Amino acid sequence: MISGARKGAFSGLRKLVAAAMAQELKAFVVPGPELARAHGLDLAKAGLPLAVTPRHAGVLLIISNLPEGLRDAASVAYAQMPRPRAILALGAGNLAPLPVADVSADLTQEGLLSGLAQLRRAIAAGAFGNDVTDFEAPALEIRVEYTCPMHPEVVSDKPGNCPKCGMVLMPRETDASGGHAGHTPNESEATMSQHNTPEHSKHASAEAAQYTCPMHPEVVSAEPGSCPKCGMFLMPVEGKDADDKHSGHGEHSQHASAEATQYTCPMHPEVVSAEPGSCPKCGMFLVPVDDKDADDKHSGHGNHASAETDDGIEAHFMSMVGITKDLPRSSDGLQMDWLEVPYGPFFPGLPGGLGLQLTLDGDTVSGTGIRNLVGFAAPLVSTPVAAEDFIAQMMKTMPHAPVSYGLLAVCAIENAAGTKAREDTARGRAAALERERIASHLSWLSDFGAQTGFRWLATSAAALQLKVQGADTGQIAALTPAITALLGRLRRAPLMRMRLKGIARLDDSVDAAGPLARAIGLNEDVRSDDQTFSALGFSPALRTGGDALARLQLRCDEIDQSLKLIAAAGIITAPVAEDIGKAKGEGAAALETPRGAAHLRLVLKKGKVISAELDTPSTRHVALIEDMTAQQELGDALVAINSLDLSPWEIGMESRA
Amino acid sequence: MNIAIILGSLALGAYIIAIVESWATYGRLRLAGPALAALALLGRESVLARKPDRLFFETAPVLLLVAGLLAVAVIPLAPDLIITDLSSGALFLNAALAYVLVALIMAGWGANGAYGMIGGWRFLGQFIAYAMLIVMPITAVAMRAESLMTTQIVISQVELWNIFYQPIGFVLFVIAAMGLAYLPPLDLPLAPGDLAGGVEAEYTGVRLGVLRLARMIIILSLAGATVTFYLGGWLGPWLPPWAWSAIKILVVTVAMLMAGHYMPRIREARYLALSWKLGISLALANIFLVGVIALVVPI
Repeated sequence: MISGARKGAFSGLRKLVAAAMAQELKAFVVPGPELARAHGLDLAKAGLPLAVTPRHAGVLLIISNLPEGLRDAASVAYAQMPRPRAILALGAGNLAPLPVADVSADLTQEGLLSGLAQLRRAIAAGAFGNDVTDFEAPALEIRVEYTCPMHPEVVSDKPGNCPKCGMVLMPRETDASGGHAGHTPNESEATMSQHNTPEHSKHASAEAAQYTCPMHPEVVSAEPGSCPKCGMFLMPVEGKDADDKHSGHGEHSQHASAEATQYTCPMHPEVVSAEPGSCPKCGMFLVPVDDKDADDKHSGHGNHASAETDDGIEAHFMSMVGITKDLPRSSDGLQMDWLEVPYGPFFPGLPGGLGLQLTLDGDTVSGTGIRNLVGFAAPLVSTPVAAEDFIAQMMKTMPHAPVSYGLLAVCAIENAAGTKAREDTARGRAAALERERIASHLSWLSDFGAQTGFRWLATSAAALQLKVQGADTGQIAALTPAITALLGRLRRAPLMRMRLKGIARLDDSVDAAGPLARAIGLNEDVRSDDQTFSALGFSPALRTGGDALARLQLRCDEIDQSLKLIAAAGIITAPVAEDIGKAKGEGAAALETPRGAAHLRLVLKKGKVISAELDTPSTRHVALIEDMTAQQELGDALVAINSLDLSPWEIGMESRA
Repeated sequence: MNIAIILGSLALGAYIIAIVESWATYGRLRLAGPALAALALLGRESVLARKPDRLFFETAPVLLLVAGLLAVAVIPLAPDLIITDLSSGALFLNAALAYVLVALIMAGWGANGAYGMIGGWRFLGQFIAYAMLIVMPITAVAMRAESLMTTQIVISQVELWNIFYQPIGFVLFVIAAMGLAYLPPLDLPLAPGDLAGGVEAEYTGVRLGVLRLARMIIILSLAGATVTFYLGGWLGPWLPPWAWSAIKILVVTVAMLMAGHYMPRIREARYLALSWKLGISLALANIFLVGVIALVVPI
């Protein structure tokens, strides 16, 4: 039986269903499909389609060892998957708090194929069972905190009154981490109260919640359920403030606790009742009124504010004008409810591992919080490590550009030891770097296609990327026509141009490196100063638009250029340091990774690296997100973030928000 | 009898579309795929989102299904093969499909998740873009047929199919139909890259199955409408009328499904701007042209 089996006797029809499920597996990839491709996994070839949300997935596919933060987030995703669900771990170690993987295999295509076959058998044989175990994601544990409706900055663990205005604090749910949930438990109460059952009543600790039928107010029950008269779901109510969820203007009575409240019909003001209920004339819900301001109920907001100043308003009086007057307006001038929506760390349209918290004003992004869960920590080296181990470590920490960072380490070590690579080795290394650039840019194109719904681009760029990775010069020459054809079609695609033009424009005042800078027209490329590249006939590709379209075109140009450089170099050499013996000294190197210039400084002692300092382009670029996304439409904001081509692994941890 | 035949062919059509759609999406042609997928969805838990609006959450998939089935009722597969030949058929189709909007907003809202809710509201914006472009081309079609009866509309094309008589209307109608069926590149309410499935994001198991089946039926009904209004319905030589209807509907469906494969999703603002500034002007021009031709040339 698989660990995420669904409860039920395993018999008859269920066997058939289980066999169908085993064939129809969809994977939710953690941390993301781009990392799977970087490790050479071809999920499409293995017959494993991707699910865009854990809700639609049958298997959680875990790629490589995950840091703790990502495992927590993965446990949230797993908890969201409907049973029967399974975990397939490739090259992963400790999975806690996730349950033990149903199948573990090596992080290779063969491992994927054999693991998948094994998993399909396991599901066909054990998708249902009688003794299923519960799984609770620790990160989803909900606690209730209390906050003031007027002063959201006031948050307390206990109920009580607001120290600023004396209002009663309202309970709200909060959870330990956002995860992928898409739930926004701590959104302001106004946000979704009409379809959430009112939060403050459901979780009010002091009062017992009661349930009533929306159509038959005389039906009152202590338990949720359905109405005995009409079968509708009973809605929770809380004493006398059950009410005005539908009035749209919560101001009058929500907290009118001191005075007796009367209820009236919004359409028939002559109907007045002491009890909540529905209007005898039209059946609408009665809304509560306070006697004294019943008159100006329909006169608009203005009166509330002008008749009495805020100071003069009694503590219970809640004015919409008062609540919203200090809130910033969005660019369109519409006052809307703001939602805090978690995006990532496994969001299908963003680099896996990058967690964002978007504040959405309608579908406009009004704020972005970044919560990167991976990334390298300083210091890179805590105890002295041998040179080759340091290189291996660098390659392992940067899964999206292992060759670049391995080569960077090699160059820095050689610089410190005072040796210099032979001319043909340097040429081979340059070609290896360019091959990685092609693969990296193709991977970015594929992600970009997936995010913008351009499926042809997503699939064909991914297929080419998998072929380019690890290819030798002959194979790359053979792939060149296919790659050029892809780029040609992409450059001509008019809808892509329309989609990207003018999005996320950067000007030359920003701190950008690599392709981002070159798409603004800045000649910023470490390769320009490199003799090997000069000998190969290199000159930087430049574009001037500065927007997402320019970045796309520039990356296409760079793929073309890299193909030419590899052809000129003629050989590809893996980054391996020559024996440096017991060398010591300080060294530095700079290298143009696919995402921009990276700098490494290190100190050697007795042939071992004792300290190292790394500066990566992604660390600088992640700071651009906030300005780029401000006041953008949601889809545009995500295109903007994607156009930066961030690798969360290459972001320094100290810079994370 | 007609009802049984049409529902049967609808089921078969939906099955074929499911094969094509999974082929377009995943690049694998699997004939048993849809049956397996349906079984797998039946076996999976149908999770109830946290604090849902249950009424909306449960009703939405069914409402979407009903909207699609109602629309199918006025599509003729052959002169006698139609569930109900209403005298206001073309209008009824519109009225039935208006519930697609309601169902999607309910689905997005009911699940109590931000992705779904934004997806639902996005579709409301999308509605503003496509709604006029469904109705206005139909107006021109009805002008030529001098009837809103769908069978009458087919018969009016005996001399010349409407695709040649009013090509502008055809193009506008197909694009609007793709918007209505939220097919890529107009899949704004689903937008896997922006909203992780949008209105479908919180649905699982049987409910998701119903939601997807309903969408296929809507796609089929719109392909049927395209064939009826523009491609001469059952008209054609040699083969029996029902075979012509089936072939044309499948071809249109496949074309609509594959188109999104080769283009990125459009921006909502751009879609609205194009629909209103360009689309409606063209639709008005189409009505005018068809009116002039109908007066001058007797075909």
